[in-house]
Amino acid sequence: MLSAVHLTRRFGNRVAVEDATFEIARGEIFALLGPNGAGKTTTLRMLAGLIEPSAGEVHLSGHRVGRGNAERLRARVGLLTEAPGLWDRLTVRENLLTYAWLHGLSEPDQAVERSMTTFGLSDRANDAAALLSKGLKQRVALARTLLHNPDIVLLDEPTSGLDPESAREVRELIVKLRAEHRAVVLSTHNLDEVERIATRVAVLRQRMLAVDTPDALRARLFGHRLRVVVTGHAGAFIPALRTGGHPDVVADDNTLSIATRDALRDTPDVVRVLVQHGAAIISVVPEEHSLEDVYLRLIKDEARA
Amino acid sequence: MTRVRALLAKEFADLRHNPGVFLPALLTAAISMALPFFVAVAIPAWTGERLSDSSDLQVALDTYRSQRIMQGLDPEAMVQAWIFQQFLPLLVLAPVAASMSVAAYAVIGEKQARTLEPLLATPITTFELLLAKVLGALIPAVGLTFVSFIVYGLGIALLAHAGTVRVLLAPRSLGMVFVLGPLAALAALQLAVCVSSRVNDARSAQQIGALIILPLAGLLVGQLTGTVALTGGLIAGLAMVLVALNAVLMHVGIALFDRESILTRWR
Repeated sequence: MLSAVHLTRRFGNRVAVEDATFEIARGEIFALLGPNGAGKTTTLRMLAGLIEPSAGEVHLSGHRVGRGNAERLRARVGLLTEAPGLWDRLTVRENLLTYAWLHGLSEPDQAVERSMTTFGLSDRANDAAALLSKGLKQRVALARTLLHNPDIVLLDEPTSGLDPESAREVRELIVKLRAEHRAVVLSTHNLDEVERIATRVAVLRQRMLAVDTPDALRARLFGHRLRVVVTGHAGAFIPALRTGGHPDVVADDNTLSIATRDALRDTPDVVRVLVQHGAAIISVVPEEHSLEDVYLRLIKDEARA
Repeated sequence: MTRVRALLAKEFADLRHNPGVFLPALLTAAISMALPFFVAVAIPAWTGERLSDSSDLQVALDTYRSQRIMQGLDPEAMVQAWIFQQFLPLLVLAPVAASMSVAAYAVIGEKQARTLEPLLATPITTFELLLAKVLGALIPAVGLTFVSFIVYGLGIALLAHAGTVRVLLAPRSLGMVFVLGPLAALAALQLAVCVSSRVNDARSAQQIGALIILPLAGLLVGQLTGTVALTGGLIAGLAMVLVALNAVLMHVGIALFDRESILTRWR
């Protein structure tokens, strides 16, 4: 639905984004991860048609987005900026109504009322935006982003600075957007959030360091490993495991970490070898690496390179 | 035009919630209106001297004796009419100068409040955005000028010599208030909005935008000192220059409005 092809953006001599290529389909939550200044916001702005790439292209439903049709693209995209960006002196209703008119909605008043009902804002409709809490402001900003029913939703740090309850509400809403078959691009530092809701992840540091599902990234960087806890010194079982066809084994105190090609197929064999050599097994679990491990490994590898 | 109306409605809603922003414009208009009454009505009343006896004001009698609209007025009314007309440019310019702050804040204010990026993410074009911003400052300023003009006329009818108010119906007065004033206001406010989209400080925009007021203020001074006679022909000529200037300013404004640098380089 939306794709970036060799997207590059320079500001003078500084390269903000270099050669980023990815595609986003309907019903996907695509997370852009990266440290501060990695080019996440610049990428979102290029996808929203707000700034033009120095090189490369953005395609929307197969059509290249350029100077001539950026306005048409913006009508199909909803962008939630990092700051809520509400007009403080205007009421919630006035804020939303202005955007309903700007998007040329056929029934702006009804659309705003529906939106306020959906986002639980009806009782604050006549309050000035300045009087709202940060969480409520973000909710109004989200309502504004989705007011014109966009196919593509770009969210820049949507839960940044929100309390846990508000953050959860926003996450639930993002998941709902996916269920509505919209394409969602999410820029965030919150790895836990990405772990919970993203279908695919791109790690960006000017260049795309990796793009895949969280599980595929974990498998690619750390492989599949089994963690076996035994009574006594685990190192004693390393020779037996190596002889039994499991050469990549490390031990730490009473714990063994064993590389496997397929956990389901290899687990019974590992257990058999250990039991045959007198191990008293306490537990056998697949090793889980967090997305944070993946992210830090990618960033560290890139810095080393 | 729907998007211009949308943004304009937002600008007016903003003013409605913050009417204090137009307090300087109201005060300036009130002071500008009071000044000629002080000169033409209050001072002669206090001193007991007739204005038409002053040799300095013979120019008034010379100017108006030949004008049909002023015929039949007594000399004192003619001098008063002359004073009221001389102060008319001040009445026209004062609300514009005061609403300059609204125009100067137009783009930089949105940027500083971080409301510009969501706005630019809508299908609004640069022309629509700038037009709405200029009209948002122009309509209240021109509206205030028109209201001031009516109040000025009522004041003259009530406080000045009988028939003095006729001076406001002269083509020169009407041309100044209804043609030259709005065109000059449009140019000044366009310039302020243009500058507002290029600087990163509202004060700079206000100061640079105010520059366009200077030639018009010079015109006022020239008229008061007798150096310039604001005739119907001169008003028409100035109006044409201002129409051309406004067209150029709109094109320049659109060319200078660089969405990318506004979003990425302003801090």
